[in-house]
Parts: sequence; structure tokens; C-alpha cells
Amino acid sequence: MNMIEKILAKRSGRNKVAPGEVVVCEVDCALLHDLSARSCRLVFENKMGGTIAHPERIVTVFDHKFSSPSEEKAIALQGTREFCYRHGMPLHDCGSGNIHNVAVQMGHIRPGDLVVGSDSHSPVQGVMGTFCASLGNDSYAATVMPHSKAWFRVPETIRVELTGTTRPGTTARDVALWLCSVIGEGKVNYQAIKFCGEYIDSLPLWDRWLFTLMAVDVGAKAAYVEPDKTTLDFCDSLGLAGCEVEKDDPGTTFIADWKWDVSDLEPQICFPPTVGNVAPIRKYAGTPIQYAELGGHGGGRLLDVEMAARVLAKKPKQERVKFNVVPGSRHVFSMAAKSGDVALLHERGATWFPASTGSNQAVNMGAMAAGETMISTHVRNFPGRNGSPKANMFLASALSVAAAATAGKIIDPREFL
Amino acid sequence: MASDASSKDFPTMRGRAWQFGDNVPTDQIVATAVVMSPMEVVLKHVLEELKPEFPGSVRQGDIIVAGDHFGQSSGRGVAAKAIQAAGVACIAAESFARTFLRNCYEIGLPIIECPGAGRLARDGEIVSVDLVSGVVRNETTGATLKARPVEPFLLTMLKAGGIIPLVKKSGPDLGFKDR
Repeated sequence: MNMIEKILAKRSGRNKVAPGEVVVCEVDCALLHDLSARSCRLVFENKMGGTIAHPERIVTVFDHKFSSPSEEKAIALQGTREFCYRHGMPLHDCGSGNIHNVAVQMGHIRPGDLVVGSDSHSPVQGVMGTFCASLGNDSYAATVMPHSKAWFRVPETIRVELTGTTRPGTTARDVALWLCSVIGEGKVNYQAIKFCGEYIDSLPLWDRWLFTLMAVDVGAKAAYVEPDKTTLDFCDSLGLAGCEVEKDDPGTTFIADWKWDVSDLEPQICFPPTVGNVAPIRKYAGTPIQYAELGGHGGGRLLDVEMAARVLAKKPKQERVKFNVVPGSRHVFSMAAKSGDVALLHERGATWFPASTGSNQAVNMGAMAAGETMISTHVRNFPGRNGSPKANMFLASALSVAAAATAGKIIDPREFL
Repeated sequence: MASDASSKDFPTMRGRAWQFGDNVPTDQIVATAVVMSPMEVVLKHVLEELKPEFPGSVRQGDIIVAGDHFGQSSGRGVAAKAIQAAGVACIAAESFARTFLRNCYEIGLPIIECPGAGRLARDGEIVSVDLVSGVVRNETTGATLKARPVEPFLLTMLKAGGIIPLVKKSGPDLGFKDR
């Protein structure tokens, strides 16, 4: 069995599971954000009721709203807040950061765990050596909240091996964007992906993150990186001890083995209207932008802030661009404040926003008018997610986003190296 | 696991077709702007960005036919619930995003994966779907497709009316411990 099959077997009380089987598993951690926590709460209260089996495992992060922009939203947050308090479920309130970043940073995710998430990008947590899949409201209300359980069909797993070393200016985000397009949107539906190879091994945990993050966009149910020294050192840095790490059994085989060399890859950009449209960024050089944003699931890491600071140290923000910087967690802001990057980015024209999911779906910020364009580290660019369906969202690395912010247009970021 | 559901539980559905393309995101099924609105408000906007006439013209028993990866993007449960509340009896698509697929069966909305579904019918043609035999037919043109079999557990859940009725009937292990 591979790592995720072993976790599914262990948590369903079996010695063995095989792809295609349906199993009911014990859940170690269940993540919710403010939008989904509200809908899960309403389904649970209206259709199930009763007690929460393991309230300490149900973790809510208010991330789409860093504050209440209206009375209606305040009422929704208030209802969920009181629900969490009443049942004793951990709540990271407005200003804590992005659901996925906060879950890791606050120590809720441990290698070997079975994790579920309401957000579609939840498979990202497989970077920690977990099995993590997304579930909807009714799974939460019916089995996760009252019984700490969930059903799963054991997925087939594809092994994706990345080799080589990237050139200067090509970041892990560029590789992940490109990989989404070469695998293809929805092309590995219901399957899992194992990311491995010398390139993945060489990356820090927060860069490996970008690969398990994109898995859902190619249709995957789950994704993982086998825990290694990088994972365990990261766990140590969070103060996590006693994790029951799982790894692939020796000789594990996969439904497919795909291998790519990343050595010749240029910086990439994902262009509207969908996440599978990816090209070398130079093909879009010169496209005017009005907004640039570091933030969302694909940005707001400390690495992103550091890249942007290096760029803006050389050249300030172009006058007409609105450059939003949104930390993925309070920890990121804290570290950037200590290093001086908060002041540097501010003084060079960027605007800091509270730790949150930023302009994701324009719930709290980031709505655009028809004809306006944003380049960001977000993960989605579907029409209408950021205001007008006639606005454009380009997705790129923090380096490319910051470079565009200095120019007022999309440019090849390698001129800042 | 074998299903306790049989063909008599799922009579053939027959309805007017609505055709959609590939990679339809949930953002365009129910836009974020109305995600938190009451269902009667959501229903005025369901799928309107792709077909402005859909909210006003959809009728009980209609069937959606679509391409690959229907329901991708956000896992919002309201996307499946709004399609169900609009009266759609079934969705036949080449493939579905997995969270959307799961959400549909968990609320008792049958959907079926069917190669060729994206080009089977145009809006308004009559389509029939037999979940158990997997026969999906355009009754207007006579074109017939064979769908992939539905996972037996999903049929069990569908027969119960969704995951909430199933857990109330069969308990926390959804009946797996007894099988």
C-alpha cells in the first residue's frame, strides 16, 4: 500500500484497502472556513442536531472576511462564532489568516493524520504526509460533526516525479502552474497524486505546498509528499511531537508514473478564463494591470513576501497600480515585521491587508470593474470570481506579481534578478 | 459493497435537455455574491452567467447534459442544492469534479458519467436516463449512449435520499459494519 492507502486502512480499522473500495474512516481533523462553516452549521442544526463527537478536531478559520463588511455578514459570523464557542470547537477568528496556512501554522495538521476540509484546495495538506480530501456540507453535518467519521472511495494513485533544477527566475509557483497545464484540468479525476523526485525533495515545505495545492485543479481527490527530514524538521519548528509518520511500502506500484524535467522551464503565467491556460510569461508581457496581489491559497507565504521585497527594493510600485499584500497567517506578518519587509513594502507603495484569504472571490476585497486586470498569486481565475465577469485575473509567482507591480504591466520577472 | 438498490428504485428519468460545455465551475452555477442568500434568491441566478434564460425557464424534471469536469472549483454545497431545487432531475456529464459529484449524491441528486454526454443533446430536446442500466438517450434524435456504472454505495445513498437520511437509518458507519 502507498502512504494514503495506509492511512485510510488504519483509520477504517482494516489491515488493507485497495483502490475502488469504499471505507468509513475516523477523522483526525476537519477544517472549515467562514463561508462553509456557516452552511455546515445550518445543515447540522436544521437536519441533525445533537452533540459534536470530537469538538477539538473541528477547526474553523474565518478567512474570507478579515472583518464584517455588512450587518448581514456580521450576523453570519456571529452565528458561527457562537456555534464554535458553544461546542468548544477551535476558532481562528477574523485576521488569523488563510484556512490552509493557519491550519498548518497552528499545529492542527500532523503527518499520518486523516484530514478533511470544506475548501476545495484542502488536498494541499497532503504536503504534511496526511491523507486530506475535500467534503461538502452534508458530509460534515451527517458524519464528521456528530461521529468524527467520513466515507471515502480509495483512490488510485499516480506518481509524479519532477527532476532537475530550475533556472534563476523560475520559482516553484511557475513549475506548479505549468504542471497544471501539462496534466490538464480535470484530467486525473477521483485519483490521488504522489509528488516526488529530486526537484520536490530539494524544496522547502512551503514550496512543496504549491504542488499539493494545485492537485484539485487537475481533478485529484488527494495529493501527498512522503514525509522526510524536511517535513519532520518543519514539524519540530511547530513544536509537533510524537507524529505517527506513514510512508509508501517498499515496492509500491502506481496506476501511472509520470516524469518531467523542470530544468528548462521559463517563468509562467496562467491567463483567463481558466486554470489550465498557462504560457511563458513573456507571451503576455506588456499587458496593462491595475491590481497586483500577493495573497490567497497560492501566495501570502513568507517566501512570497521576501521575493516581493527584493523586487520593490530595486524599484517602487508603479504609481497607478494597487499592490495588495495579504499574509497567509499572523506568523508571516510577524516574521516580515521583524525582518523589515513590512516597512520596506509599505514605503515602496504596497498596501498591507490583514492576514486572510485576500481577494479570493472578492468576499472582503479585490472586486474589479469590467475591463480591469489583476495579476496575483491566487489559485483561480474563473470569470466573475473577482467582481465583473468581464474583469481579467492572471495567476503567477510572487516574483512576477511584484515585478508587474513596479511596471504597471506584465513583464518578464528575470529583469529583477 | 453490493447496493441494496435495484432498478425498481430508480425508474427511467425523461426530461428536457440543457446543454453545457467543459469545466463549468461552481462559481458560475451559484455566484459568490448570492452564496449566502436564501434559496429563493439563489434560484433567480442559478447558472445565469452561462445561460441567462436558465433560471426563468428551467422546469421540474429537466436534465442537464454537459462535458468534462462539471462542477469544478469551489466545493460549495449550494451549487448542487440549487440545481436540485431548480427542479433538475439528473445531470449526465462526461465527468464531474469529485466534490461536486459527492455533494450531489449526498443530497439525493442523481448524476451519471457518460462519455459523449456533452454532445448528446441541444437545449429543449428530450433526454432519458436510466441510472441502473446506464442507458442515456436523446429521445428526439434517437442517439444512445452508455454511461459508466454508478458506484453501488452511491445508489444506496441515493435510495435513502442522501447521506443525512442514510446516517439516520444505518448509523455512523453508514451500514458498512453490517455488510
